[in-house]
Amino acid sequence: MDTILELRNLKKYFKTKRGIVKAVDDVNFEIKENEIFGLVGESGSGKTTVANLIMGIYLPTSGEIKYKGETIFKLAQKRPKWLKKEIQMVFQNPASSLNPKKTVRQILELPIKIHRPDVPIQKTIYDLLEKVDLPTDYADRHPDELGGGEKQLIAIARALATEPSFILLDEPTSALDVSVQGKIINVLLKIREEYKLTYLFITHNLSLMSNVANRVAIMYLGKIKELANVDEFFKNPMHPYTQMLLSSIPVVSDEEEKLKPKKIVSTGEIPGALNIPPGCSFHPRCPFVMDVCKTKDPDLKDLGNNHYVACHLY
Amino acid sequence: MTNNVNKLLEVKNLTLGYKVYEGYLKVINNVSLDLYYGEKIGLIGESGCGKTTTMKAIMGILPSNAVIQGGEILYKGVDLLKISKKEMDKIRKKNISMIFQDPALALNPVFKIREQFYDKIKYCSENKLTRTEVHNLSIKFLKDAALPEPDRILDSYPFQLSGGMKQRVIIGMSLVSANELLIADEPGTSLDVTIEDQIMRLLKSIVDQKGISIILISHALGTVRKFVDRVYVMYAGTIVEFGPTQEIFSNPKHPYTALLLSSVPRLGGKEVSKGIPGVVPNYLNPPKGCRFVTRCPYKMDICEYETPKMYEVGKDHYAACFHYK
Repeated sequence: MDTILELRNLKKYFKTKRGIVKAVDDVNFEIKENEIFGLVGESGSGKTTVANLIMGIYLPTSGEIKYKGETIFKLAQKRPKWLKKEIQMVFQNPASSLNPKKTVRQILELPIKIHRPDVPIQKTIYDLLEKVDLPTDYADRHPDELGGGEKQLIAIARALATEPSFILLDEPTSALDVSVQGKIINVLLKIREEYKLTYLFITHNLSLMSNVANRVAIMYLGKIKELANVDEFFKNPMHPYTQMLLSSIPVVSDEEEKLKPKKIVSTGEIPGALNIPPGCSFHPRCPFVMDVCKTKDPDLKDLGNNHYVACHLY
Repeated sequence: MTNNVNKLLEVKNLTLGYKVYEGYLKVINNVSLDLYYGEKIGLIGESGCGKTTTMKAIMGILPSNAVIQGGEILYKGVDLLKISKKEMDKIRKKNISMIFQDPALALNPVFKIREQFYDKIKYCSENKLTRTEVHNLSIKFLKDAALPEPDRILDSYPFQLSGGMKQRVIIGMSLVSANELLIADEPGTSLDVTIEDQIMRLLKSIVDQKGISIILISHALGTVRKFVDRVYVMYAGTIVEFGPTQEIFSNPKHPYTALLLSSVPRLGGKEVSKGIPGVVPNYLNPPKGCRFVTRCPYKMDICEYETPKMYEVGKDHYAACFHYK
């Protein structure tokens, strides 16, 4: 499989009155074509900043992002049109990402007019609605006439309208009920097959992640702590932080309980990004902390089997 | 434990609705639930199923457009719907407390924690306390909520604390008046998993230690499973199933419970279920019979026009579904 997106030494620092916030600090990973790459982490770990950097909403402080081999780092306004067509995003809260004054038709029309001027608009809109399993008469409704799940399906249809090859999903189901979540995920999986899409799936729901992603990376305070194939990640979590996260997930059956690492109990909180601890940023919460952790930040080490961990234990 | 004497709280056939511009919303329909001394129960269901409304009815904090049509809320044998406002205040000061979902909204952003905490203690105490006594009490409650450096916390504004710390402050505050019953409305939902885990463990150890009964509302099924003794499943303003936690999770009887459980993505699973088709019905005009009929894959003719009663499906396990008649 070819690499579609590559992040190299990506950094994003924000200057504030109280100091520098290292929101994304030296992040490296690549996403292969037609895969679902999961990015997990607690709030404040920098997941959304990574998404915004890829979208071009922020300019990186240093490092580069390559899309299909080409470097892209310009601000959104200056991006070439083809690139905007290629990369689309679905946001967490559909209630705030859809314009309440516009009808579904108007919402879907704009990206089609701009990026695919040659296609018949009416028919394309109906096709899009069908693709996301919504009746075509929804085209003339306003977002507030739709349920939360339906709104998110419209947001997905809008992302799909430009015929992208890469979609960023920033917590697409966290604002929804579990009963609706399944529907959204299944639509996403279906259109991925159909259009050969690649997803960067950002979520903090690890159970969901284990069901959809091919590879998973875990972020903590702007850094990748562990990256592995999904089976490996859940069967053999190496980093103490991953183990802590896994042991904290509430599950609904005994079989799942057995899959969770037992020994680590969640302690402490994620510190603010203004005062990131020296050395390994996780050391104040880590149960296996050693002296070296307090001074030296571990590099992402390859343990074989496409499993990368940033921890002094290995 | 089926003895009436052991019941701390008993909600009997509660029916209530809201008057709105379009008409009358028939929200809660014939809800009954029991809570025994020292017991932990959970209330689960999708958003908009009336979980919070039921709890607000117990606390007596329903909005002014709510109309209680019938039913009783017996707290130690006293009907909370019939007593005066003053007596209700007394119960709220001494016995019951509620924790809300979003800790950021539950604290006043313009006052320091100290002032808010002191106010609560002064308001809830029967006799006049000196400032030192109030201070010592607040330190004690903050320590109970496992907050390090309580002095520093008291001198902070809410925005200076993290979400987890704010929720701990709220828990500490609720302990001031929760001597017997604590209602926790999604206490961990707006927090990260690791923090939610800590908060839930803290709550559990506190209620176990002090022998407080608790009603935990959540739509995170996993959280409920770890925490409570018995579970009530609520759908569209009705209780559809209740029973011991183990039973509900390993052997759900009502189609809604079963579907809801199967919608939860499993750790180590390989696919995501389709979820439950459809949405919670409109309360202006809810289905006449079983309220789940519009979404139920196993519906029969009788479900359309008759409301199912609670049928016994196992030991202490009941489901409101005609399939178990």
